[in-house]
Amino acid sequence: MRVTYNWLKQYMDLSDITPEQIAEIMTRGGLEVEGMEKVASGSDLVIGKVLECVPHPDSDHLHVCQVDTGDTVRQIVCGAPNVAAGQKVIVALPGCILPGGEIKSGVIRGQKSDGMICALFELGVDKKQLTEKQLSGIEELPEDAEVGNREVLKYLNLDDIIFDVSLTPNRADCLSIWALAKEVGALLNKKVALPDYSYETETVPATFKLSSETEKCPLFEGKIINHVVIKPSPKWLQDLLHSAGVKAINNVVDISNFVMLETGQPLHFYDLAKIPLREITVKTGLEETYTALDGIDYQIKPEDIMITTGGKAIGIAGIMGGDDSKIDDETKGIIIEAATFSNVQIRNTARRLGLDTEASQHFSKGIDPLGGHKAVERSVQLLLELAEASGIEETVLCGDPSFEPIVIDAPVNKINGLLATKFTAEQVESVFERLDFHPEKVSDDIIRVTIPSYRRDIKVWQDLSEEVVRMLGYENIGSTLPLIPTIQGGLSDRLKNKRVLQQLLMGMGMNEIVSYSLVSKSKIDEGILSAGEAVEVSNRLSDERRYFRTSLLPSMLETAGYNVARSNDEYGLFEIANVYNNDNEEQQHLCIALSNKKTISRWQKLIQENDFYTIKGIVIAIMDKLGYPEKRLSFQIESNSKAVLHPNKSASVYLDRTLVGKIGVIHPACAKKYDLDECVLAELNMTAIYGIRNVKIKFTPVPRYPAVSYDLAMVVDEEVTGEQIVKTIKKTGSSLLRDVQIFDIYRGGSIAEGSKSVAVKVTYQSDDRTLSEDDIRDVHQGIIAALKNNLHAVLRDS
Amino acid sequence: MSRNWDLLREELTEKITSAPSVGQLEQLRVEMLGKKGSVNALMQEMKSLAPEERKEFGMAVNNLKKTVEEHIAAKMAELKENELNEKLAKDRIDITLPANDFTYGTLHPLTLVQQEIEDIFVSMGYAVVEGPEVEFDVYNFEKANIPADHPARDMQDTFYVDVERLLRTQTTAIQMRVLEAQGSHLPIKVVCPGKVYRRDDDDATHSHQFVQMEGLVVGEGITLADLKGTLELFARSMFGPQREIRLRQSYFPFTEPSQEIDVSCHVCGGKGCPTCKGTGWIEILGSGMVHPHVLEMAGIDSEKYSGFAFGIGIERTAMLKYGIDDIRNLYLNNLKFLKNYKRFD
Repeated sequence: MRVTYNWLKQYMDLSDITPEQIAEIMTRGGLEVEGMEKVASGSDLVIGKVLECVPHPDSDHLHVCQVDTGDTVRQIVCGAPNVAAGQKVIVALPGCILPGGEIKSGVIRGQKSDGMICALFELGVDKKQLTEKQLSGIEELPEDAEVGNREVLKYLNLDDIIFDVSLTPNRADCLSIWALAKEVGALLNKKVALPDYSYETETVPATFKLSSETEKCPLFEGKIINHVVIKPSPKWLQDLLHSAGVKAINNVVDISNFVMLETGQPLHFYDLAKIPLREITVKTGLEETYTALDGIDYQIKPEDIMITTGGKAIGIAGIMGGDDSKIDDETKGIIIEAATFSNVQIRNTARRLGLDTEASQHFSKGIDPLGGHKAVERSVQLLLELAEASGIEETVLCGDPSFEPIVIDAPVNKINGLLATKFTAEQVESVFERLDFHPEKVSDDIIRVTIPSYRRDIKVWQDLSEEVVRMLGYENIGSTLPLIPTIQGGLSDRLKNKRVLQQLLMGMGMNEIVSYSLVSKSKIDEGILSAGEAVEVSNRLSDERRYFRTSLLPSMLETAGYNVARSNDEYGLFEIANVYNNDNEEQQHLCIALSNKKTISRWQKLIQENDFYTIKGIVIAIMDKLGYPEKRLSFQIESNSKAVLHPNKSASVYLDRTLVGKIGVIHPACAKKYDLDECVLAELNMTAIYGIRNVKIKFTPVPRYPAVSYDLAMVVDEEVTGEQIVKTIKKTGSSLLRDVQIFDIYRGGSIAEGSKSVAVKVTYQSDDRTLSEDDIRDVHQGIIAALKNNLHAVLRDS
Repeated sequence: MSRNWDLLREELTEKITSAPSVGQLEQLRVEMLGKKGSVNALMQEMKSLAPEERKEFGMAVNNLKKTVEEHIAAKMAELKENELNEKLAKDRIDITLPANDFTYGTLHPLTLVQQEIEDIFVSMGYAVVEGPEVEFDVYNFEKANIPADHPARDMQDTFYVDVERLLRTQTTAIQMRVLEAQGSHLPIKVVCPGKVYRRDDDDATHSHQFVQMEGLVVGEGITLADLKGTLELFARSMFGPQREIRLRQSYFPFTEPSQEIDVSCHVCGGKGCPTCKGTGWIEILGSGMVHPHVLEMAGIDSEKYSGFAFGIGIERTAMLKYGIDDIRNLYLNNLKFLKNYKRFD
């Protein structure tokens, strides 16, 4: 919403306050001034007269001008094609600061130039408001402009400041400059005098038939003005429209735009001759292609509100009219439309058609129920004044214009209680007075207020408390802390666990990432621990952001690829985030990616290789940290068809018997797709893990007696897994067995093809004595026998 | 027969002192103190002496032996130290060569800021509550006093899933769930962090995904001054003890009255600088007193109870805190960026 200082100044005395102060008070009071800009600027301008204008001897387009600037005659070189002797012009004197920089005396191609003859855009006037002629040359001032006048901006009515006001949705009423002025007046505590729009003229009986066939148009006022004269608007009107960023067209069109700015009520003027039936019906239920004023075809749907005459559409209600009934230079009479349309429908239609017009914005946000009448009256007044209007017919009304204002009893004590203030009833009353709420003191504590029609945001006493505090100032609010019964706060278990995980992974040297939840179809297909069918956004902005992810891994691969492409080729990344399925099930997942190596010291050649066993170890550590010891985990090879993980270097992770994760080395095809090396990956379903009971920490005595270890080397078939060997030993070992560690795997040499040698360290320990060989012999022999029998192991000499 | 013991002692100690190495000293020790050594030879000689001479002679030999032992021990220590020093000198390394890399990881700056804020409020007795990101319209909008035809829906362009479900546009949705669950167990004191989504194109200052944290306090006699005091404390914990806050009128459908909260600029202290665009103030929070309709919808008597709510953007806070100029940095996850955030600071 744009409003200028000069416009506001028409309605109230602003002589004692600067524009900056006004902006500050507006902002503090809820009308946020997002920006202030001068309409035009020039520090040292003067009106001059071109006495002589001859072509520059050394140029085919420059002119050398002698310009009378009142005090002296200056020679100025000017490049504008329209400069001519006898013109009154704007001269920027040497030293003048213009938006484009400082003007200096100089010599242009050998000719002295003592200033610059200016075009309006050179003073910073918005180019959109200028004509082709104004854009291509200097500004030619009227003959009566006073030579030597240095108040040039004031003379041009350009010494103005635009306030760019950001309105909150509850204050759409301030889209009306009158309402905005009232609001500013209330905030500044100043008397506001808005224009009187009464007029005196004879009206003739209406010849206009108006009807609405839809409840989406509850009120419609129409009026025929049989005769108008189209001509340019006077300068004051053009200037005001320009200051609001609206282009001046002709007096009639300008009046419709101007009255909308003033009252907030969108108006539409039709050319009377182009609606020969003198009939307008508001309808829904049409389904057709409609060509609007902008020449574009729009697909109208049955829910859209349409303006029709004789059954034929002539406008998309509240959004845009049609080309075939618009006002042009030949217009002799007009129909005025001031209606109320369903804000929801206008918003939906405008959004669907991508048609964001001034009118649709006003309607979408809701308009003053009494605005229509006001706007029609103001239009007639201005048409009489500026367009020689005559043959003014009676207003035709469709719908019920009656309005019952909201009356609220404002409880002063409760307001003070909520705000923790000590405002007196008089202070509160004064606020309501300033706001035109017509306060009426019912008792010491109760002030009865009547809310004006345009303040549709005020419904309950709490709304009034807001009016009180913003008018009397937030600086009256003290600073306390709530005095309420103490309750227990803190983090949920889930948040605590998340922090434990974050700290653990950070301690392992990994960097946390946060990536986007919305992903493309192909990323959904690449999920390795998918939560299920993906939630799809129905109104996506792009295919890249179409589904809520069901697995974190694809985003992780993208992030890893992004980093590798930027030479961050050693990485350890993790992310903890929620995934969802279409049954509204939420899962918290953890995803990890590690580059295949990490350099510890280049010159010492210390390089940590990250392979399947690294990521397996990380998962075991995570689970152990969270209270799930390794013995409850199992890793099962599971070829997955998705070609994301290497089919023979990956595993599903089970906790007890529940699938809780997938780990592995990246599939070469996937690595190629994301430009990655052979990295290792993991994704865990933390929600599933937390759902399984963990082991609580309890005291275990520190061993007091020494442990004894024996090495066992055996040759087994290639198919025998490490896990089988360890499990066999553990199963056979008695309570004395404490630990089994595979410490060597060897193939080739004397070992036959298809076999491998596995070396295992078996550790025994007792809590109550130092073990002797006799203590262990039976157990150890039992283990050896089990390995032989169960795994066909051939024990090597140890 | 009398010996010149002094001369003998000097002769032996001289030999000891001039021994050049541990090996030679060891050899001397054998020569002097060994079974066939010179000192031992003197002991043997003593046996041939007359008993009256033996005592004196014996004492002299013992003294000599003791002196020799002492000298050898001292010399041995000296030589060993020298030897060690030589070895240490040979061990000398170039300490300027690069260290082994003990990389530690980092938490994402959004996590750092979120946890810091959580901790500030937890210290004041707030519970931290999460909620679903794929949310029902009723929690995101309806219960927050934003019915279907409300113009405030335009403030937040929403990703819809179907008629009932959407991607939460505000963590207000969590507050509405808290109100529903705890409306009959007042007071409520919670902060609700989480990701939210808006149908916005991403640019330097907009992101279709961002993190919010909202707070809610409901109880008897909660006032606007309580809101101000709480947020003042928060602003000072977050941006420094010198910070002031100011309230500006604003609008949120679920609070009345509603304010934006500005904090005096932590970069210039309020004098005006590029960070605060010359105003001395930075907008960081939205807040207000919980709207009576919102309380009533949760079955809470709005004449008896009142509450305040506030919301803060984690990205904006992180960007202000660390001077990050483009919100997309937070979602690109470039390691060169991430590794910078070693601690909250």
